[in-house]
Amino acid sequence: MRNPYEVLDVAPTASSAEIQTAYRKLAKKLHPDLNPGDKSAEEKFKEVAGAYDLLSDAEKRKRFDNGEIDATGAERPQQNFYRDFASSDQAHPYADASGFADFMDGDDAFAELIRRGQRARANRRGQDLHYRLPIDFLESIAGANKRLTLPEGGTLDVKIPPGLVDGQILRLKGKGGPGTGKGGPGDALIEVEVLPDRRFTREGDDITLELPISLSEAVLGGRITVPTPTGLVTMSVPKGSNTGTTLRLKGKGAPRRGGSRGDQFVKLNVVLPKPPDPELEAFVSSWAKGKEFNPRKD
Amino acid sequence: MIMNKQEFLTCSGLQVKTLEFWLEQRWLIPEQTAVGMKFSDADVARARLIQELKTGFRVNDEGVDIILHLIDQLHGLRHALGQLRNGVIE
Repeated sequence: MRNPYEVLDVAPTASSAEIQTAYRKLAKKLHPDLNPGDKSAEEKFKEVAGAYDLLSDAEKRKRFDNGEIDATGAERPQQNFYRDFASSDQAHPYADASGFADFMDGDDAFAELIRRGQRARANRRGQDLHYRLPIDFLESIAGANKRLTLPEGGTLDVKIPPGLVDGQILRLKGKGGPGTGKGGPGDALIEVEVLPDRRFTREGDDITLELPISLSEAVLGGRITVPTPTGLVTMSVPKGSNTGTTLRLKGKGAPRRGGSRGDQFVKLNVVLPKPPDPELEAFVSSWAKGKEFNPRKD
Repeated sequence: MIMNKQEFLTCSGLQVKTLEFWLEQRWLIPEQTAVGMKFSDADVARARLIQELKTGFRVNDEGVDIILHLIDQLHGLRHALGQLRNGVIE
């Protein structure tokens, strides 16, 4: 980073008006949008703008003069200039051929070259079209075939691969906007939104299910059926299970790359019978040990 | 990113009145759709250029008009030239 006074070509004693004048004079010539073909213009312009940022701020200038901050103290954030867009190959409404329209009228070889160039511009690949597709949680784990109704009419069949995560983008080659001339169609880019599920949650390749069990299943243990993304399975609940006890079903989670799968965790939630059972009430009120036990101790 | 009029105003920091004047002058030409105007990142960058011309370089409205017209022609030329170079011509 050069000394900002050198960059703006002013004396260290220059007044703020002199600094402003010097900046305007340089910036006008160096502004990248006024020099679309000069790659170095952007760097030079940033240097000048940075120097002006520093010297136009009395506080910053004082601190720089005192050596408290260096010349980079006023670095500008990245900026996209208009020329970055105007020079892209995409068609845009500001394009203007009147600067060379007269060249195309002639009979000479050069006019023919330019005319062919203009025609080639017509051979443009179609636009990529963006869509959003909401799917159920279970569809995201097991995979599915969905049909997307397009806002501009028609439908698109989308195959959801198993194990897809929220926000993933599927690319359907050639299903985007039509191209012109020899340019092929663009692609359809589908952002998949996985809707939250009432029961299942996902973390990485593992999924968690909160499952209610009865008091007797919790106390005595037993075999229960558990829903998984690929169907019901049987699982044994060990004796003395509690709310919050988590059991693991190996390989019942989301599919991974390479064929293996994550696990499904089943978090138990003990639920008392409804409506309250008088027999249970009678037992608990006469159950001395139960009254002694205080889970909030320690 | 594609944005509507309100988002564009937030993104560019323009006043509604200013934007309307610029649209009238055709300094900005957003895409017209059934649900209203659609602005692109290029429009944001172009709006920033116009702002810099006006506030940074103190160019008046007539000057902005001329500069934009010349810049548009320059890009048209650069494009035509680029295509010639890119071997569109066999």
